[in-house]
Amino acid sequence: MERIYEGMYLLDNAVVREDWNAAKSIVTGILEKHGATIHSARRWDERRLTYPMNGKNRATFLLTYFNIPAENIPAMRREFDLNESVLRTMELLVDAIPAEETELASKETSEDFKVPTPPDDDHIEFVEEEDDDDYPRARRDDRRRDDDRPARDSEGDGEKKADAEKKADAPAADTETKSDEAVTASKED
Amino acid sequence: MAFGRKGRRGGRGLVKLGKKTDQDHELNYKDTEHLKKFITPQGQIMPRRRSGFSAQTQRKLKREVKRARHVGLLPFVG
Repeated sequence: MERIYEGMYLLDNAVVREDWNAAKSIVTGILEKHGATIHSARRWDERRLTYPMNGKNRATFLLTYFNIPAENIPAMRREFDLNESVLRTMELLVDAIPAEETELASKETSEDFKVPTPPDDDHIEFVEEEDDDDYPRARRDDRRRDDDRPARDSEGDGEKKADAEKKADAPAADTETKSDEAVTASKED
Repeated sequence: MAFGRKGRRGGRGLVKLGKKTDQDHELNYKDTEHLKKFITPQGQIMPRRRSGFSAQTQRKLKREVKRARHVGLLPFVG
C-alpha cells in the first residue's frame, strides 16, 4: 500500500519576496533528493504567526502531498531542520489527496498566477534601550533616598530608648524600697 | 473536595458549544477559524463538558489543535 504524506512547510518571507519559485524549489528539491514523488505543491497562505519562529512574525505556508520511502524521512527532516529558509515543517500521514488539491496546485503553474508580495513586518527587531544618561539619572534623583528620611538615631528613637531604660529601672527601684521597708519593720520589732 | 453538579447551578458544566453542525464539520488544523471556537481566550483546549463533543471527536480536536499550534496557526498561550 502506498503511503501518502501531507507536508506543511513554513518559508521565510524574505526568500519568498525574492522569488517564489526558488523558495518553492528549496522544499521540493529536498523532498526529491530523498526519493519523494511529489503529487502537488502549492502556496497555501501567507499568515501572521501566533508566536515568533526564528525571529520572524510572518511566514508563507507551502502545502505538499507526496510519497516517500519511510526510511528516508528522518534524513529529510534533518535536512529541513538545517535549512534556515524553512522555519518549521510538519509531515502527516493521510488517507488520500483531497480532490480539490490537484486543481488548486495546477492553478499555480499557470502563467497568470502571481504570488502576492508578503508584508514587510515579518521580522522582529530587537530595539535596545538607548543609554540616555541624563533622563534615568534625573529619575533616579527624583526617587526618595534613604538619606532624605529622618535619621533613625534622632530624638524619637532616643526618647523610646530612654523610656525603655526607665521601665527597666523602675521594678528594681520598687524592690529596693520594699526591702528597705522590710528592714525597718524588722528593726521596729 | 469535589462539588457535585447538583450544587453548581448554572456552572461550567452547563454550556455546550459543540452543536450537531459542529460535530459534522470536519476538524482540520488548517481551519483555524473553526478550531478557535473550541479554545479558550488563553489558548487552552475546552473540555468535553464545554465542547459537547464525543470522546472520539474530542481526541481529534486535541490532535488538530496541537498540529495548528506546531505550525504557528494557533497560540500555545494567550
